[in-house]
Amino acid sequence: MDFDVHYIYAQLPALARGLLVTLEVSGISIVISILAGMAGAAIKTMRVPLLTPLLNGYVEFIRNTPLLAQMFFIYFGLPSIGLSLSLFWSGVLTLSLWASAYQIENIRGGLVTVRAGLHNAALALGMRPWQYMRLIAMPLALRVSQAAILNTSISLLKNSCFLQAVGLAEITYVAMDRIAMDFRTLEMMLVLGVTYLLLVLFMSLFSAWLEHRLHKPFRM
Amino acid sequence: MDLLLNNLAFVGKGLLMTLALSLLTLFFSTVVATVMGLASTSRLRTVRWSVRSLTELFRGLPLIVNVFFIYFGMPIFGLELSPFVSIIISLTIWGGANGAEIVRGGLRAVPAHQLNSALALGMRARQVLLLIQLPQALRSILPAYVGMLTQIVQATSLGTLIGVTEFMRSGQSIVDRVTVMDGWNPSFAVYAGILLVYFLICSLLSGWGRRLERRTSFDGHRDAPPATMVSPEIAAPILKAQT
Repeated sequence: MDFDVHYIYAQLPALARGLLVTLEVSGISIVISILAGMAGAAIKTMRVPLLTPLLNGYVEFIRNTPLLAQMFFIYFGLPSIGLSLSLFWSGVLTLSLWASAYQIENIRGGLVTVRAGLHNAALALGMRPWQYMRLIAMPLALRVSQAAILNTSISLLKNSCFLQAVGLAEITYVAMDRIAMDFRTLEMMLVLGVTYLLLVLFMSLFSAWLEHRLHKPFRM
Repeated sequence: MDLLLNNLAFVGKGLLMTLALSLLTLFFSTVVATVMGLASTSRLRTVRWSVRSLTELFRGLPLIVNVFFIYFGMPIFGLELSPFVSIIISLTIWGGANGAEIVRGGLRAVPAHQLNSALALGMRARQVLLLIQLPQALRSILPAYVGMLTQIVQATSLGTLIGVTEFMRSGQSIVDRVTVMDGWNPSFAVYAGILLVYFLICSLLSGWGRRLERRTSFDGHRDAPPATMVSPEIAAPILKAQT
């Protein structure tokens, strides 16, 4: 067993391209899932008829099925009935659908903590329910649930490697591809592990910083 | 419908394999989780820290990378593992790390005065752990643990990627075979069916978990400790275990 550092150097450009794809696909999905989570949580909290039970079913379904099966359904299943998306966008769709279910619950958990008095006060001031939601409740809820939101985002980033199974050239795919060609398993696995750990660490630090920052007004 | 009838035996075999994988992983992760959970509440700082960092390491890595490392990486160290064994090992490492967090949270949720009282009554450290701390911790561990079981069932689908013929893989094979032999693509029906079956299994399990949670919760209990002692410790690992 020999460890070849130069091999890693030689593969860095390809790995960097893979990393970029990972970051792109996760970044877009994280943004979509947070927006969808906010909308979904608002709908569930305001108990919009019809939409609320639909969302409940959606959340339960996503939580109780494997991501891999969801991905295969979207990438292989949908085109067979004529709905086809490019590889990249099916990846975004899979990850966003998956993460939105968790974000809805995260943000709803935050909305629950907003006091009922604020709701009454806002209505008394003549605000419409959605104005109350947008201007009063949502900002407060996001502050409460930011840790959970970022947690789900970290999971999403880690789960973006599921997309290698359908052939999206993100970093895991690139690394596994190199392993299949050159059998430098240890080197590539090390790079892969370190990259993911650094990304996760970076996001955790960001989450801690944000929490610290958001609590500034409440510290003595 | 014909599709299902023709392949019933094959699909059944896949489902059994998924079940076997889940049960074996559950068993081994429980062992690992108990040991690591207990070790992470150890009084020795070195033990505590090394276990905690191991847990964080395995929770920080994507499960797929873990699976690939065991299956493709172990042979370099002279350890050739079959796909079946590798998937069980990698899921055990992952499940053990997540379970350890649940166990640790449960142990820490037991109010300190319980332990102090037991010590004051002259119980030995081991007696306190086995008779006082563990039974009370189980109450908060069990519901979270059933939640983890659904995660394990879902995670066994990763066996597909390294060639274990579990439920998901059997569906894939059917798609391949029908496409080649009969000339039409049944992807939509097959994958929808797969999703549905996983959904049935996992929602039964999570329903069970929720019932356990209601039954074992401290609310309405005679000598209920303050609610704050229970929830955050337990909630955190569940929120995190979304892989």
